[in-house]
Amino acid sequence: MSNSEYILIIDDEESIRDGCRQALERFGFRVLAAANGQEGIKIAREFGPAIAFIDLKMPTVSGMEVIEVLSQDIDDIVLIVITGYASILSAVESLKKGAYDYIPKPFTPDQIRAVARRALDHRNLKIEAKRLKEEKDQIEKNFITFVSHEMRSPLATIQQYMEALRMVSGNCLGKEAIDIIERCNKRIQNLEALVERWLDLSRIENETFASDIEPVRLIAVVERAVDEMSHLCQIRGIAVDNDIPADLPEIKGDKESLVRVLINIIGNATKYTASGGTISIHARYDDHYVSLSITDTGAGIPREKLPFIFEPFYRVGGKEEHQRGSGLGLTFCKKIMEAHNGTINASSEINKGTTFTLTFPR
Amino acid sequence: MGKKVLLVDDDQDFLMATRLILENSGYTVVTAEDGKTGVEMAELEKPDIAIIDMMMETWGEGFSVISKIRELECGKKMPLVVLSSVDLQGPYQSFEPSDEFPRVNMVLHKPVKAADLISYINDLTS
Repeated sequence: MSNSEYILIIDDEESIRDGCRQALERFGFRVLAAANGQEGIKIAREFGPAIAFIDLKMPTVSGMEVIEVLSQDIDDIVLIVITGYASILSAVESLKKGAYDYIPKPFTPDQIRAVARRALDHRNLKIEAKRLKEEKDQIEKNFITFVSHEMRSPLATIQQYMEALRMVSGNCLGKEAIDIIERCNKRIQNLEALVERWLDLSRIENETFASDIEPVRLIAVVERAVDEMSHLCQIRGIAVDNDIPADLPEIKGDKESLVRVLINIIGNATKYTASGGTISIHARYDDHYVSLSITDTGAGIPREKLPFIFEPFYRVGGKEEHQRGSGLGLTFCKKIMEAHNGTINASSEINKGTTFTLTFPR
Repeated sequence: MGKKVLLVDDDQDFLMATRLILENSGYTVVTAEDGKTGVEMAELEKPDIAIIDMMMETWGEGFSVISKIRELECGKKMPLVVLSSVDLQGPYQSFEPSDEFPRVNMVLHKPVKAADLISYINDLTS
């Protein structure tokens, strides 16, 4: 058992303080004592004890107040209530305020040692859990760096080789060979897009884009996205009906991310909408919210699959799906919307179409 | 004889691929796989242009290569192109790095299309 950590006793009764001190010091604990709440808080702030035993019934600052202060101020401290009037109610309330355990007066030296030992075990577990969580967060943070270095660089090199190969080979390769090179290229580009998507997601999770928040005109976002997608829509024979009123209120956000959200949603719509269909974009607002809706006349999403479409790698069409994407597009959209304190929702009817609604706070 | 291009990159394969593209377009290519050699080559070979990878593996060694080449007599006016496959964070994030960083003429992202690369180099060396 660790004896380098302090245990603090806060009790206005001298006999209790002395009794606890003797019982605990015999087992190698370092014991501090305070005769009232103020003094207890002061000592705790100075020494950062591992455990504090706190008498509930003290003059001036009550034990309950001490519990509130210490559970906020002292990292990983474990608080134990000493309750003289063996009242379950006050013990329960103290547990709610952040105490871990209670010990009713009178108690024996063995009892207080057992409680202290249990509290220390609890504290060690808590610290270990915290450390593991920090480690996990760190790994997630490093993921960006990992993806950048370990995946992007080799991909770039392969692509550069492809460029060189095309150049070096000149006219000496047959159509078949050139075809193969093009197919390789396509697959590499897909892989690259996937890596980019991963990076986007990690960046959003690390909230690195929070600094780019500024007033955004959604009409400009929609126009940019529609413009970028117009060629694809034309090829697929899908009309785009953009009906955003010019007086739509501005929102706060990051324009580039929002353009990409729109492009994602419009891109999805083009995948599942047959030639001759329409994608229509509408907006509405009230005193509190501005929302955009993007509606297609496509295949629709089965009701039972709707709740999962924002999950990473979820595919509505399952493995047989003809339209392959990164599987992260809508996850990306959702993260972006969350970063804007907004929401994204989908409603759909089979063979009628799907509507995505983006809602932003004003 | 074609113009001379110095390539500095710690990725041998990237060097090879880029060399093939450039040599095929009539350039003479000299390469270096680390920063120190890169600076030496810049002084020795006096290339018409240098293309320098950020070399993030060695904590952005590319930055110091750029500074050191700019300190060389022959490097003051040498067109310098920064190349990176990682996110450009820091002074070369934009085309307008702050004054305390040596100026580069262009920032390119890997991979670079062969045709683009040739046309950029043409522009910068003419």
